[in-house]
Amino acid sequence: MSVKIESLTKIFAKQIEEGTLTALDNINLEIKDGEFVSLLGASGCGKSTLLRIIAGLEIPTQGAALFNGERIEGTSPKRGLVFQEHTLFAWLTVRQNIEFAAKATKRLNSRTEISNWLEVAGLTEFADNYPHQLSGGMRQRAALVRALAVSPEVLLLDEPLGALDSFTRMHLQDELIRLWKGRGNTMVMVTHDIDEAIYLSQRIVVMSPRPGRIAKILEVRMSYPRNRAVGDFTALRTQILKLMDFAQDVQEEYTI
Amino acid sequence: MKNNISAWELKQIEAKPQTLKSKLFDWLVSFMPILMALLVLLQYKLVPNKKVLISFKVYEPTNLYAWFIGVFLAAFAGLFIASLFSKKVFGKWRNAAPLLTAVFLLLLAYDFATLKARLLHATYFPAIDDILNALIAERAQLWINSRHSLILLFTGYFSGVIAGLFCGILSGYIKKVRYWVMPLIKVLGPIPANTWLPIILVLPFISLFQGAVFIIALGVWYPVTMTTMNGVINIPMHNYEAAKTFGVGKLSMIYKVAIPASSPFIFQGLTQGMSIACTVLLIAEMMGVEAGVGWYINWQRGYADFAKVYAAIVILCVTFFAVNTMLNAIKNRVLRWQEDKV
Ligand SMILES: Nc1ncnc2c1ncn2[C@@H]1O[C@H](COP(=O)(O)OP(=O)(O)OP(=O)(O)O)[C@@H](O)[C@H]1O
Ligand SMILES: [Mg+2]
Repeated sequence: MSVKIESLTKIFAKQIEEGTLTALDNINLEIKDGEFVSLLGASGCGKSTLLRIIAGLEIPTQGAALFNGERIEGTSPKRGLVFQEHTLFAWLTVRQNIEFAAKATKRLNSRTEISNWLEVAGLTEFADNYPHQLSGGMRQRAALVRALAVSPEVLLLDEPLGALDSFTRMHLQDELIRLWKGRGNTMVMVTHDIDEAIYLSQRIVVMSPRPGRIAKILEVRMSYPRNRAVGDFTALRTQILKLMDFAQDVQEEYTI
Repeated sequence: MKNNISAWELKQIEAKPQTLKSKLFDWLVSFMPILMALLVLLQYKLVPNKKVLISFKVYEPTNLYAWFIGVFLAAFAGLFIASLFSKKVFGKWRNAAPLLTAVFLLLLAYDFATLKARLLHATYFPAIDDILNALIAERAQLWINSRHSLILLFTGYFSGVIAGLFCGILSGYIKKVRYWVMPLIKVLGPIPANTWLPIILVLPFISLFQGAVFIIALGVWYPVTMTTMNGVINIPMHNYEAAKTFGVGKLSMIYKVAIPASSPFIFQGLTQGMSIACTVLLIAEMMGVEAGVGWYINWQRGYADFAKVYAAIVILCVTFFAVNTMLNAIKNRVLRWQEDKV
């Protein structure tokens, strides 16, 4: 067992008014070693918060998050996180960004190893560019390989392909599967995209908002590489859509 | 079309096609500096001077100024000819030409107002020839004093920068430090550093030099601390968080994230600090320090030798310009990662 969430609740203090907001309510989840799990749900249902708790960036209000049996306290290079907004260091080039991660985690990646990562990201030509000189997709690819370069046991991905066009997206999805199969690490990915969740993950955690709860956990029993057109795939999609509809019912008071 | 064109070629391709009229105008503009320099030279040599007494002597201009203008004239002519052959040189020369024309027009007017017509008071407004001669005659004095000024400037500046960076980074990074530093900044900050000069310079246990260093450092410390602190406070949280996930510790976070991320702010403070340092330096030298260009200016003013005063001011301009250019070059190099810098 790799990551275990035990009746975890996270409450935030509201920044403007007095009062609090329950972002996650009594979450129970076990993620096995080497598993690929997706967190799927509407905006604001606490997906990022859950990921940040596993990364060690937020402290649970109640309950606990465990990693390899130990309570998670603070960050660790064993639990890598790719943020929702790309968070390359603006003052470093792509290559230096990867070097930063490698050095900080004392994994003294050789120059060729870093070049390999650049190759994986398809950024060899842009190795010496600063983040603002890259396209949005290039930045996300760079952030992705920067996290991968330190080979974490668990890779936490917060909508890593969110801002990409569908072609690049599909290409990177295959790339993600290839990397995951190659390294055998645990993957926890947040996504808005139902197809992406089905295409990539072994289990899909469907969440509902306000307060953030787990609505259902679905297993995807198709072998990789998956075909988006087969009946199993579309059946699962329909099932999730129904679940999400339920999730949206709760939100109705906020829509027009 | 080939794919690997240089940036220069690209600019040429994308530039608007030129009409005959605009070409003619460009050539005319790039010829103007030569014409203007020639006019300055001709006026200087051919128009008779108005005789005046300066320090009980009839003032006689020398040929130095003529040579000075002559050198520029030759250089202009050389560049003009070079620009006939190279488009790159032409571009740069065409860009500089209007400014140079204006400068030489000013020289023409100044010569007329001093040497030729004496519209301005002869004592306070010496001819440029006189200033050039003073520069040469006084070179030893000017050299010694500028060296003294530069040493004082940089000792004070760097002490202030180090203190400012230290205070700024720590008080931006650690709330407890900010608690103690903030009141100090709020009380000392708004007072110009040279306010303390009369007190510092009469303190018995420090030398004039040390006193002046302290005052300059104080003047630099304030903006550097302020901008650095603000820079560090305003670093987006996700920078720290990303570094944290790679296991960067609290201490190395300072130089790995806090300093580089706030470097645009820090440089703002460094630039402001430099201009304050220059101001405080001159005030200190004019008020008490017994060496340096500021002191020299005061001293020569006592003899009403304004050619030497202007000579010293020229040296000041050149020095400060060089120092600021250097600082800017460093800044542009360090901050080349910024979006609007490219
Ligand atoms: N630091 C914080 N302070 C206060 N409230 C917060 C904080 N972080 C998150 N929240 C709140 O917690 C809730 C869940 O936020 P979270 O970012 O986890 O949602 P999400 O599922 O990732 O949404 P999205 O898909 O839009 O990224 C939101 O209502 C948000 O306003
Ligand atoms: Mg989110």
